[in-house]
Formats: sequence, structure tokens, C-alpha cells
Amino acid sequence: MQGLPYGLPGCRRVKTIKRIFTKRNVLGLALLAALGLAAFWIVTIPRPLTAEDIPTHTANIENGHMLYDAGGCHSCHLPSKDSSIDQELPAGGAPLKTPVGVLYPPNLTPDIETGLGQWTDAEFVNAMQKGIGRGGYHLIPAFPYTSYAHMKVEDVLDVKAYLATLPATKNAVPNHQVFALPIVRRGLGAWKFLGLDETKTASEASQSQGWNRGKYLVNGPGHCNECHTPRTIFMTSNMSKYLAGGPHPEGVGKVPSLVDLVGRGKYKDAKDLASALQFGEMMGYSRLSSGGMGQVQTNLSKLPEADVLAIAEYLTSLK
Amino acid sequence: MISRISTIFTVATLGLCLTASVSLAGAIDDIIVKRQACMKANGASMGVFVPMMQGAKPFDAAAVATSVASVEAACADWAKWWAPDTMKGEMAKTKAKPEIWSDAAGFEKAGAAYYTALGEVKAAKDDAAFKAAFGHFGGSCKGCHTVYRAADE
Repeated sequence: MQGLPYGLPGCRRVKTIKRIFTKRNVLGLALLAALGLAAFWIVTIPRPLTAEDIPTHTANIENGHMLYDAGGCHSCHLPSKDSSIDQELPAGGAPLKTPVGVLYPPNLTPDIETGLGQWTDAEFVNAMQKGIGRGGYHLIPAFPYTSYAHMKVEDVLDVKAYLATLPATKNAVPNHQVFALPIVRRGLGAWKFLGLDETKTASEASQSQGWNRGKYLVNGPGHCNECHTPRTIFMTSNMSKYLAGGPHPEGVGKVPSLVDLVGRGKYKDAKDLASALQFGEMMGYSRLSSGGMGQVQTNLSKLPEADVLAIAEYLTSLK
Repeated sequence: MISRISTIFTVATLGLCLTASVSLAGAIDDIIVKRQACMKANGASMGVFVPMMQGAKPFDAAAVATSVASVEAACADWAKWWAPDTMKGEMAKTKAKPEIWSDAAGFEKAGAAYYTALGEVKAAKDDAAFKAAFGHFGGSCKGCHTVYRAADE
């Protein structure tokens, strides 16, 4: 306060400022700010699971493989086109352009140094369902842990078991190009407070087995929500517009709505949608190729027919 | 009297608007409309091919030939339709993505794959050859749409 010319006569504004910045008020404001920072610090602390939280489970590699395809893991974790690595392996490194910067999805092969070779089950589940990386920091939600959080832990462990069967491929992936990444990561703790719902997908007794299976695949591994549900101003999924379409996450064009697909004449029935998901343009369905859905359809074509039908049964029921 | 004047005025305005919109829908829109007609012909051919592919209908060489001919007719000038100023229509909407021009070599390759596959479908003499050719045909559609066409809204 020393620097203020408070002695000047008739200078009301300065007097008002002086009144606001009394010692008591300044102390109070500082205390509030400190409290706010403390609250932010506490809210944003990553809280990973420990080994005791992980159930004992005998892994089913085949199930893991199916979920790997349902999740389309490969579509983001593929190697860079410039590398000599087999393009079919999820060895990571192909740049992913997002609004926050260029991300380099990591190597999912079991390489000891550059892949998941040394990851424990708890570490894997933390990444997949809590969005917490091996270094204990928050992961950027371009990795759809917000959806994978709804999966059964056993299914997540099966995915890990499948990944462990892939050829270990050495591929050190570049660091993400995100401005002030450590601060962004910490801030994501606050975002998760709003945007990460860890409820497991529940079955509905009034619905068929196929419908429930479809609901699980759509909301969990399939992570359809991430693009087909629009986002709020906080960039969390706006669940009041569940799967109702919205702006394209890459910023160009739109993502179509999945609500009332039959009523709007997009597909004849669940079976028609299932053929579209299973065969795409191989059977003349041209809608599922563009805007990123082409890769999704390629992944879904690898699923057992019953699972594709289940997805279609659930989706066509959305009104 | 007043109402008659206003009627004349309205009609004149409407006429002007119509003329304006016709003249506005110029050369670029013409090209976009032709591109879309070519794609529609492809879609129509799918309506013939898919039931044969699914086994709902037997392989019908004559029907395949007619479809291929209609696609060839609708798409004959394909190569002339991709000048850079056709990226956006004047009035017509287009789902053509900028990648067509930023990755012209890739687009040309995808187009060539499609054209080869169409040739295979045309040359197919029996059910087995047709089904094999159709696999390449559908794949070539997807190959192009995945990168160079924007999604449905």
C-alpha cells in the first residue's frame, strides 16, 4: 500500500481502493486463494488402485482379443507410417492431432523398455479405468478411459493378457506436443472430477441378453460416446444428449446421431445395421466409411456376429 | 389497384430471385452435380450387386453388364471434375474433403483402384469371379471414402 498516493486531496478512488485493501481484507483474500489452491491440489491428486484392489482372475486371451477389436485400440496405437514396423501391430507412435496438441499414443506391445512389458495388472487397470499413467500422473482423455471405466475389471485384464501375446516390438514413442503438459495433466484431475464417471455398465433385467451385451459393448469398450455424444463447455460428455451426434472431434464436419436410426430411415432394422457394421461397403453400405468410422467398421468386422448383432439391437432401441 | 401492384412487384421479385439463383448455380455446381450423379449411379449399381453378393438373387451377367454400363456412362468425365476451385460449391453442397487436393496422388491411386475393380466386376463371367471382384469393388469404395469424403451429418 506504501506506493499509493493516498495523501492527495479529493482522490476518492484511491480512498476506495485503500478501503478495500485493508490488512484484514488482504489477509482474507490470501487465505481464500490458499484454500482454493489447496482444494485444487487435493481434488487433482491422482488416486491409483493398488495391487490389492485387483481381483484374482484367470485371463481369457480370446476375450481380450475380441475386446481389443471392439475398442479399436489399433486405430490410434498404430506405428507411424514412416517406421519399418508392421502396421498391424499397436506399437504406437503415429501422430494423433487433437485440439490440445499432437499426441503420440504409446506402444502397447510387450516390449520391456518401450512397451507394456513391465506393467503390472494394477498399472494397466489404472490407465484403462482411472486414467492414471504408470508415472502416477493423469492421462489425457483422448485415450477414452472415460468409457473403459465402465468395463468389468476382468475384461480389462483380458485385454492386457491379449496384448502380452503380441510380438514385443521396440519402439520409443515421441513425447506429446502439448503446451505446459505437466500443468495440463494436473488440471485434468479437476476435469476428471466432472467428466470421469466410474460406474460399471449395469444390466437391465427387462431387456434381452443381446440388448444388454450391446449396451456394454457400446458404452464400455466400444467408446461410441466419445464422438457420438456432444460435449459440454467443460468438454465432458453431455449425457442429456446421449449418442445424439455433434461436432466432429477433429474439428471438421459433424458426427451423426445414433438415435432413432430406424425411425429416421437410416437403416431398415437391427439386422440391417448389423450388416452395415459387419460388412460396410463390402455389402454396399457406404455411410460407415467416412469421418473416422471406416477404421471403426474395419475393427467391428472382426467381432463375432452375435456381438455385432447385440450392438445393433441396443443402438436401434435408442429413441 | 394497390394489391395488383404489390402482386406484380412480388412476381417480379420472385422472377428476379429465380434468375439470380439459376445464374449463380454456375459451372462449379454443374461439376459437383455430375460428380454426385456418378456416385448415385454407383449406389444404384450396389442395389443390383448386393443381392447377388448375399445370395438373395442368382448371378445375372446381363444385369451386371447394364449396371456397369450405366456407371461408366455417368462417370465417363471423372478425370475432368477435380479442379481445385471445385473444393466448395456455389450453392451445391459437397462432401469432397480438402485431402483430395492436398493428397492428389493418393486420391488418384484410390480412384485407380476403384476403376480396376469396376473392370473386374465387368469381366466376371460367373458367380465366383463376380464375388471375388465385388470384394475388391466394395473395398475400393471404402478406400476412397475413408480419407476423401466427409461424414454424413
